[in-house]
Amino acid sequence: MRRPALVVLVIDDEVRIRRFLRAGFELEAFIVQEAATGAEGIRAATLKPVDLVIVDLELPDMDGAEIVERLRSWSKVPIIVLSVRASEEEKVRLLELGADDYVVKPFGMAELLARARAALRRQAPGHQADPVVRAGSLTVDLAARTVSVDGRPIGLSPKEYRLLQVLAQHAGNVVTHLHLLREVWGSAHSDDAHYLRIFVRKLRQKIEKDPTQPRILTTELGVGYRLSIDGG
Amino acid sequence: MDNAIHVPTAQWRRRAVELVRSKWDATHLGPIAVSLLIVAAVTALLFVAGPLLDLDHAAFGYLIPVIIAATRWGATPAIVSGLAGLAASAFFFYPPIYDIRVYNPAHVADLILFVVVAVVTGQLANKVREHVKAARQREEEMKALYFFSRRLAVASSPADIHAAIQDHVSAITGCRVALFAAGMAHSPPEASPQWSHMPGEIQRAILDIFHGRSNGREAPLLDRKTGASWLIRTLSQRNALVGIQAIELGSVSRQSIDAIRRRVDTALAEATATLERIDVAHAIGEARVRSEAETLREALIGSVSHELRTPLASILGSTSVLSQASGVAQDARLSSLVDVIRDETERLSNDIQNLLDASRISSAGVQAHLAWTEPSDIVNAALARLQRRLEAHHIDPRLAGDLPLVRVDAVLVEQALSQIIDNAAKYSPPGTTIAIDARAVDATVEIAVTDEGPGLTADEQTRLFQRFYRGPRHQAAVKGSGLGLWIARAFVVASGGHLEATSKGAGRGATVTIHLPAPTPAQVDALESSDA
Repeated sequence: MRRPALVVLVIDDEVRIRRFLRAGFELEAFIVQEAATGAEGIRAATLKPVDLVIVDLELPDMDGAEIVERLRSWSKVPIIVLSVRASEEEKVRLLELGADDYVVKPFGMAELLARARAALRRQAPGHQADPVVRAGSLTVDLAARTVSVDGRPIGLSPKEYRLLQVLAQHAGNVVTHLHLLREVWGSAHSDDAHYLRIFVRKLRQKIEKDPTQPRILTTELGVGYRLSIDGG
Repeated sequence: MDNAIHVPTAQWRRRAVELVRSKWDATHLGPIAVSLLIVAAVTALLFVAGPLLDLDHAAFGYLIPVIIAATRWGATPAIVSGLAGLAASAFFFYPPIYDIRVYNPAHVADLILFVVVAVVTGQLANKVREHVKAARQREEEMKALYFFSRRLAVASSPADIHAAIQDHVSAITGCRVALFAAGMAHSPPEASPQWSHMPGEIQRAILDIFHGRSNGREAPLLDRKTGASWLIRTLSQRNALVGIQAIELGSVSRQSIDAIRRRVDTALAEATATLERIDVAHAIGEARVRSEAETLREALIGSVSHELRTPLASILGSTSVLSQASGVAQDARLSSLVDVIRDETERLSNDIQNLLDASRISSAGVQAHLAWTEPSDIVNAALARLQRRLEAHHIDPRLAGDLPLVRVDAVLVEQALSQIIDNAAKYSPPGTTIAIDARAVDATVEIAVTDEGPGLTADEQTRLFQRFYRGPRHQAAVKGSGLGLWIARAFVVASGGHLEATSKGAGRGATVTIHLPAPTPAQVDALESSDA
């Protein structure tokens, strides 16, 4: 099945970054639109429908958070943020505002494409029809509420399943600690980060081959967790 | 008081009453009682010794209590002892004895002479006392002024200077003082944390001065609610308003207010003179420049980081696209060239990050965001980051499965661990093993990185974590800035842990261990509740 080419909007003030992103996306058969400022980017997104937005955190005219907020006010388009190291709080803030994922500069094209594909998959029409998420040896059937490893069903406690379910719904993309705490334990427990650590450990013991070197349920330090669909 | 003649009699009387009232301060009662006791003691002594010594001029014995009272407690107790002495000598020692009357002209002359001598010595003694008191107070004030100038000299911000002025006036007057900065560059007094403690009337008076509607008031203001009196004084330098002071005098009589007011005005005059001398406006300016320079430095570091990192990100991104391109991917020589560009750019990018981290550590210190963290997550993140640079080595992570959670800044500790592992890979020959052990020891988790490299000499072991230190044995062979382990230590320490390096000696490998705090469940609960 051949879908029509996807349109990606790149909002970055650095012409050299835009140039390599254009090359990288065009190699993967995307149609690339460029914007050098936040205002230009938002205008471009409203004029023509786009399938994916790549936005730099540090733009001259607009805060990355503002762009995410304004795009999210009317669109569910997947947004990937280009961020710098040592700004974990900023990343968490943008993810909470509705960005789908981030990559840290300097990054490779393969990493960005993996994040983008995961976000696109969730937004793609017909995604709802396929309730089965596969990550390495793990299979989560969101409709039947069953979990199996290497084809063998495994039993999870309700909280463990809920945790895995939220991660599977965002498979391939990062989910923040706060988001997980809210979804699994309720907003009253948003400060109880050690619950989350303990349940992640329990879950890893059930789904990972080596829980001390997880390949499926991976950690983004200071940000959250990711169900790595391209993991081993 | 030269206009006193024109004052009507009623007013005179009131003044006299006020004067007596002010002299009859309750604080005088104690000394007067003691003075009377001394008079009684002298009387008893004279009574016993009189017949033996045949004292003719007994009255002069009473000069002793007068002088004691005058030197120790001032005029009022001295006058009282003088009068008591006069009465006692007339009653006990001058015939008719046990009668207050005195008939003998010689005795009358004796008593008059006593009164004259008592008044003169009393006054002299009192004056000496006042001098001593004034000198002592002067010394205290000099001390306060000296302390004040010293604080002004080391002040590093306008706020420090204002706090110094406030404390100084408060120390000199013994009153509660609030100073509100004034002048164009300052925020309005409402922004001050002290503002809410001011009564409404005082707030209005301060605002009037701040907005130039008034020049400040001489007379004290009364807070009707508490009955406390307040003085508002302005502090200016070279005719420019520097601050507005509100001084709470408490509920005191009008006379005490006048006395305190004089003291406040003197203290303010002294403070102003000191401020003139050290040029407070200049000092405030200097302090501001210092903080601006710091901000500028931060901005510079930020922009340099952006300027350098953006091109590097473009290069790395471009190589990642290049390596995927069909023409390159299929040609081993071309793809190895792309790999060289990528590896070298990554190294450069790391070096820049190190410089930025080092500058951040020494300028602003490290802000750690402590959170519960799975220790193995830290190790895995570091190994994932270094994946390509560790390809030549055999990596052996040995992580215990049941490690307690650590409460650290995971991002900082991961960067520290990456530095340590990277260092191990840099200094140990390809093909050797780098072991990473994570284990729980008491209330800590240790992450130890052991290599099979050249090891550490005793000297290297002690200097390993110093800034810019590079082992003399490797300077030529291995590239590096000598910042890595110094940064690693700063990051680990900021997370509440510490670093340790051991070696069996030169040529026998080295172990660098990160010790991280892992509070026990009881401590966990305490920490969680304290966080709430």
